[in-house]
Amino acid sequence: MRAHHRTDRVLAEFELMLGALAPAARKALTTAIVALDHGARLYPRSRGRRFTRLDDQAAEAYIRALLARGGVPAQLVQRLRGLVVMCYYELPAVQREIGYHPAPYIAAVSRRRLESYGPEIAAAEAAVTARDTQR
Amino acid sequence: MRVPQGLTTGADVTGNLSVDCDVVIVGSGAGGATMAAELAEAGVDVVVIEEGGYHPTESFTADSMRALRTLYRDGGGGMAVGRPSVLFAEGRCVGGSTVVNGGMSWRTPAQVLERWSAEGVLAIGERDMEPYFARAESRHSVGLQDPETIGRDSELMRAGAAARGWAVAANRRGQLHCAGTNNCSSGCPTGAKRSMLVTSVPRALALGARLYADCRVDRITRAGRVVTGVTGHFARGPALTVRAPAVVVAAGAIQTPALLARSGLRSGQLGRNLALHPNTTVVAFFDSEVTGWHGVHQAFQVREFMTEGLVLTAQNLPPPMLAGIVPAYGRELGELMADYNRIVTAGPLATDTGAGRVRNIPGLGTQVFYQLTDADAARLARGVELTGQTLFAAGARRMLLPFDGAPEVRSPGELRNLLARPVPKASMQVYSIHLMGTARMSEDRRRGVTDSFGAVHGVRGLFVADASLFPGPIGINPMETVIALAMRNARRFLGALLPDGDRGARHVDVAAGALGGVRVLGQLGVVDAELVHHAGRDPVVGRVGPLDDPVVGERPVAEAADPLA
Repeated sequence: MRAHHRTDRVLAEFELMLGALAPAARKALTTAIVALDHGARLYPRSRGRRFTRLDDQAAEAYIRALLARGGVPAQLVQRLRGLVVMCYYELPAVQREIGYHPAPYIAAVSRRRLESYGPEIAAAEAAVTARDTQR
Repeated sequence: MRVPQGLTTGADVTGNLSVDCDVVIVGSGAGGATMAAELAEAGVDVVVIEEGGYHPTESFTADSMRALRTLYRDGGGGMAVGRPSVLFAEGRCVGGSTVVNGGMSWRTPAQVLERWSAEGVLAIGERDMEPYFARAESRHSVGLQDPETIGRDSELMRAGAAARGWAVAANRRGQLHCAGTNNCSSGCPTGAKRSMLVTSVPRALALGARLYADCRVDRITRAGRVVTGVTGHFARGPALTVRAPAVVVAAGAIQTPALLARSGLRSGQLGRNLALHPNTTVVAFFDSEVTGWHGVHQAFQVREFMTEGLVLTAQNLPPPMLAGIVPAYGRELGELMADYNRIVTAGPLATDTGAGRVRNIPGLGTQVFYQLTDADAARLARGVELTGQTLFAAGARRMLLPFDGAPEVRSPGELRNLLARPVPKASMQVYSIHLMGTARMSEDRRRGVTDSFGAVHGVRGLFVADASLFPGPIGINPMETVIALAMRNARRFLGALLPDGDRGARHVDVAAGALGGVRVLGQLGVVDAELVHHAGRDPVVGRVGPLDDPVVGERPVAEAADPLA
């Protein structure tokens, strides 16, 4: 993420998602972020640094250590991690890299649908708002 | 964005609003929209209130995070607290969860209806429900997929089950020549999925209903034991007051009991008995390209194990959702996701025996609690094993299981060995999209919140019309059951507008305010009587008759101008 300069875009997406969560979940995750960041100082390999100052290897080892402990901290880390990676894999550039580019596909099958069944679809759509004579 | 006539969004409202109607419906999903269309067609003045926004078909894209933010409650991040916690998703938009579900449409299994009958729910037998199922299916174009829309992930699931000799059913879906965009959970971009957004909502609006979007209902108002309407507020602040002699709550199995409880309803069963069809996901890797996002999701269901309470399906997850659930971090996650187009995601959906609870907690709002029972955990683990066997039979090379700390498995033998011992419940990743049972039907008010037809015990004019009504889990996709029950209960509701003593009478004397209801009854063939009502001060004679009456059928209420002498 850092190597590809995608941090800002992931953070922007993350902020939007955080805003969509229920207030209680938002508060819990915000607290978890602060605890995760500062808690890293207590992790031996961090040598007193915050999580945001760790290199990739140390950061990953810290996360794995938290997860291995289980309990509420592990659950919060999992949720936080889930949200962050969701934001990362929502980026169009990342999706292209893994071969996911749905827009052209959706456009093509939508066209195929109308070409194959257009009149039937139009008739059924018109019936949606027609009064029911079969009651 | 073109907004249909009759629909008011929060952006259109600049000051407090106060409206009157015959019936106000809270929620525009499968239950609420169906009720609205049924009642509006019968001439009732209906107002629908929807907390979510109006998002038309043309606004839907494959941007799944945007969909989570705009179409789902709380960004799709609902959580039932327990061990393990269960992540669940609810739709919150005009059309409700039908906008983001797969559109699967199955009749309630006969044995479930038998069980409900045995528990004392009236008129719920297969024969009672048949006309409503048929009507729901006709109205929503329920049928099988066109073959060209079925993707390779579904075909692999079918092939694997067939290799094991297991029963597979082609999925029935409310769809009008589904294009197979694989975008169900982010809103159907063609409108082929017959969600309420493109069926009952526009139908209700065309028949005169009014819909207010972006408006959260705060309370149901009452005068003693009689409802008088609802109060709410739009997202931007203005208040909405609706005065109505009847309120239908159709906000889903979490929000419905929450609203009833904060409106002061006291029932021992309210918010209890939550069932949620726990499900989970196996991630299987194949050697060749699957490209699971080509073709409709869940084209088939493996139904061999329904008697054990298990249905197995394949459903492709878009990259963000897959990345969110796989147990991998950092570089390992990157390598895994690089194989995205060789992955099949599939899993079991279980009929649960446990029961959760919905509670309003001061300072925290509505909270959900659910404890997975040992039996259900064992059932889910068995479902994972069966799913794994299916996918190995279809050619999968390796698999990730939804249990924290579980190693990758590379053969049916490894899978069997791993699951030979009980899986710790706390390690399970459990999800739900089917929430039911929190305001269940029962004629016995100690056992249920409503009667057999959704009328809340002890409060006149208050009804429920969503999956909250289910007396228990049904083991399959619940949408058609919700729609059919709403159609059935709408008919009952219309019948109840006329006092018992007047049914079948040759002369009916009604106040002008109830005239709409009597017209409705005439259209439904409930009464065949001379009608005396009072339009202003002048009594008017009319006749209300069934539709098959050649005279009144074309014009159900043939009002005469002759005043009563």
